[in-house]
Amino acid sequence: MAVTGMDPDGDGDRDSRGVPSEARRPANWGIAFDLGIRLGVSVVLGLGGGLLLDSWLRTSPIFTLIGMALGIGAAMYTIWDVARDAMRR
Amino acid sequence: MAGTSQRGSGSRLTWVLVAAILVAGAVAVFGGTAPEDEGAALIHVEIGGEALWHIGSFEVTNSMVGAVLASAILLAGAWYITRRSALVPHRLQSLLELPVEWVAGIVQGSSSRWGGYVALVIGLFLTILVCNWIGLLPGVGTIGLTHTVEGHEVLVPLVRPAAADLNFTLGLAIITFVVFVWWGVRINGPGGYLKELVGEPRYMAPLMFPIHLISELSRLVSLSMRLFGNVFAGEVLLATMLALTTSALVVLPLAFVIPGVFLGLELLFGFVQAMVFALLTMTYITLAIGEHHGDAHAAEHTDGDNEHPSIERDSGSASAPA
Repeated sequence: MAVTGMDPDGDGDRDSRGVPSEARRPANWGIAFDLGIRLGVSVVLGLGGGLLLDSWLRTSPIFTLIGMALGIGAAMYTIWDVARDAMRR
Repeated sequence: MAGTSQRGSGSRLTWVLVAAILVAGAVAVFGGTAPEDEGAALIHVEIGGEALWHIGSFEVTNSMVGAVLASAILLAGAWYITRRSALVPHRLQSLLELPVEWVAGIVQGSSSRWGGYVALVIGLFLTILVCNWIGLLPGVGTIGLTHTVEGHEVLVPLVRPAAADLNFTLGLAIITFVVFVWWGVRINGPGGYLKELVGEPRYMAPLMFPIHLISELSRLVSLSMRLFGNVFAGEVLLATMLALTTSALVVLPLAFVIPGVFLGLELLFGFVQAMVFALLTMTYITLAIGEHHGDAHAAEHTDGDNEHPSIERDSGSASAPA
């Protein structure tokens, strides 16, 4: 694969932290697009898993409540994880 | 002055009301729904791929046709580039190389091991892009076979954009999921990867393990659902706009303008969604590798004998990434 003309001088388009500006901006967009959906999906996954366990073990609503709490926890963890990674960068 | 202004706005309101009544009358006369069409849906929306033919028990769906068509286009482009490439690229070669170089340039800055996954990211980007843009071609969604569903004749399009089928997007998301988990296991070892899932301190493991597990799985679901949702919604939007603007004679001139605007938007959204999927794949793998951009930069500059091949800027060519 011929890859040419991206950065002829080696590091001319990098910022002070060594991150190429071309790489940083689109990746940040991707993370922003992702975060909103992952919050909702985490809650749905936790709730869905709890509902399935409850219908399987006939223990309603114990696992539904636990699953919902875990899903909300996972959503909050996702925000923290993304923020921590963004601060590191 | 105030009285004149009020009279002016009053007469304007009258003209607007007269125009509205005329338009409503015209719609009633020319665009009224015929009694025999009552109950028939304006558009036919199917959330999954629709079966065109059966080979034994195997269903050939229109989204499969879309995926195969996209693959054929990509293979033809790859064949052309590899067979007829020149050191000084001509226009078509430059055009075909442009997206590859652009995405490679972005992936290059993500980590020092970028050579191990650049091909996957470029492949995902190009596949999704071509799949999305196929849906905008004339004839896609309008040429098909007629099937009878619940007493109504329904057109089943021959080609459906593959990403408008959850099976396709989920397949791509599973590939991405397996690859970034594999990178995590490869870098940290199976024990280290599990330790990350369990988290610190250990006594919090019963709480943190399911939270980490849900968080990991949410990546898989969000990747597939986002792409499917956006492409499917775009298809429905285009079909609705076409159906609305061609539903009555009086609004027919709008059919030459409004769908065009939405086609332009879909061109942009198709590109953005392909980019988002590819970049998220890159981000997840980079996170799994656990290396930060500064490290990648340092590694590139200190380690001349990187195990992964890098771009040879001086010669203007590069060896194939591992």
